[in-house]
Amino acid sequence: MDASSFIGPFVPELLLLGAALLIFLLDVLGIRRNETLSTVAVAGTTLALLSVLGDLGFAPLSVFATLPANVIDAAPSTTGLYAFTSLGLIFQGIFLLSALLVSLASASRPSGEKGAPIFYGLLLLATVGMLLVAVATDLIFLLLAIEVTSIATYLLVAYHRREARSLEAAMKFFIIGALSTVLSFYGASLLFGAYGTTNLVAIGHATGAVGYPVLVLLGYGFLVAGLAFKVTLVPFHAWAVDVYDGAPSDVSAFLAGVTKKIGLFAYFLVFLGPVLYLRTVGGSSPFAGGPIDLGGTLTITLAVLAVVTMTVGNLLALLQKEMKRMLAYSSISQAGYMLIGVTIGTAPAITGATMQIFAHVLMKGGAFLVVAGVGALGVGPLIDDWKGLGTRRPLLGAAFALMLLSLAGVPLTVGFVSKFVLFSAAVQAQGYYIWLAVAGLLNSALSVFYYARVLKVMFFDTAPAPSTPPVTDALPAGGLGYGRAIAIGFIAVTIVAVGVYPQPILGAIQSAAQHFVVVGA
Amino acid sequence: MTGLPVADLLVLSGALLAVGIFGLLTRRNFILILIAVEVAMNATILNFVYFAAFAPTAAGLSGQAIAVVLIGFAATEVAVGLAIVLALNRIKGTINVAQATELRE
Repeated sequence: MDASSFIGPFVPELLLLGAALLIFLLDVLGIRRNETLSTVAVAGTTLALLSVLGDLGFAPLSVFATLPANVIDAAPSTTGLYAFTSLGLIFQGIFLLSALLVSLASASRPSGEKGAPIFYGLLLLATVGMLLVAVATDLIFLLLAIEVTSIATYLLVAYHRREARSLEAAMKFFIIGALSTVLSFYGASLLFGAYGTTNLVAIGHATGAVGYPVLVLLGYGFLVAGLAFKVTLVPFHAWAVDVYDGAPSDVSAFLAGVTKKIGLFAYFLVFLGPVLYLRTVGGSSPFAGGPIDLGGTLTITLAVLAVVTMTVGNLLALLQKEMKRMLAYSSISQAGYMLIGVTIGTAPAITGATMQIFAHVLMKGGAFLVVAGVGALGVGPLIDDWKGLGTRRPLLGAAFALMLLSLAGVPLTVGFVSKFVLFSAAVQAQGYYIWLAVAGLLNSALSVFYYARVLKVMFFDTAPAPSTPPVTDALPAGGLGYGRAIAIGFIAVTIVAVGVYPQPILGAIQSAAQHFVVVGA
Repeated sequence: MTGLPVADLLVLSGALLAVGIFGLLTRRNFILILIAVEVAMNATILNFVYFAAFAPTAAGLSGQAIAVVLIGFAATEVAVGLAIVLALNRIKGTINVAQATELRE
């Protein structure tokens, strides 16, 4: 393999790596201005995003394409470590968009923080891991790529290393992360024992024909559990709220926005191939008549996890008094909706789940960025502290209201489009999948309660006379800072724009999902 | 690769994993938690080495290689864990996990 064929496919990753190294170099040279570092990070992620979009074939950007066209969606090899599917590229685009928005918003962080270079460097390195997850076709490659991201995010959460809250969140994140790692690697080792390979395509083709069903069942069981921590599915969710709460809000935006989505994409890769295969092969699988029906067992497990996750997440969100914790629980319930897509596994369902992930990155990432901005304005962490914010800061209030309405799935927002596609896929899939759509709809109705409560507090409750004088607007753009204001504005506009006219993005995801189902199985 | 004594292996590596996870969940000292993580990771590494010994050549080699990579990876993870322990000890003067109670429902 010559050098160009190795570097060629990994241009986005190398761009981010280069930007991260440049940031560390600037740190050594003593250049630590927050705005400079943010600019480097934004430039790196923008170039990488352009390259990914070019590869996806968006016409005006095709000059940035770096992959040969015949590589994308090629027939999968049973020996390779990575393959480029258009669905994977779309996920790369989603991850890069989120990293871009967080780096942009972080330009508004207080300048003169000592660890600023480390923050941006780790953010970019975490994103490199995510990009690798999106192209993995090997179980070990996939799990190691997830760990690249995890290890970077442990440190990101511990970013305020003089604050007990931040460190405590990092400690919990680390312990749970280590548990998750141990379980998923153990599962991978059992599958290696059963199949003699860690290539997911080879496993997909071999599923069913194996001498040790017990290894397969245990292996998938450990993988479901290990990856469920990353996706924050309900019995495995308890860490997420404390971590999102204790981490700096910018980091929470990144965590809630994307890091758990890599777990979800891993679910796509690990389970869809084998499960789809088993479902189509049906009777000829040695499992069908035997002691365990692997495909059916996995489907039911995932369906139960999905319903329990969305319900418990929503119920607990109802009870929260703090804004960040409420958003964290709502994030958990959203993971339940996304899991519907994995459970059903048809092309429309994958389209819906991907759309939901795209929407979630905008809505939840944006919401945490607003929380970060509002926190910088001196507003407290409780939902009641936000009283009258909508009337005092109409634009910021309107942007946050849009994000909440989109989370609740109100029409003309991207959140409505994604839920519509997802639930109609569940109805189309017939059988007991319809109950997944019913559960999803009931949960959406339930979630409206707590979003509406925040809207009421923000717009209709009058604020008590401030006991402390309001923080003087040290930053431009009304105390938000330009970077954060631009990021929040961009998200708010995109939520409506895609909600009104989803066709370009929806079409791209649809064709990618179609390819993924054909290629992946 | 039929006929390999899978049950023996599962008992051994399953026991290692169980000891590791038990330690991870019950220990209150962060250093002991890190040791528990290592024990549990070794269960995985043992599996790879064991299965590799019985697999055809190519798969066997990749199994050995994965084992080496995982040993390196486990060390990385513990290094990050130790960094968190040091920072925690510096501000709180303790590495007892039970005394970290700032974040509550």
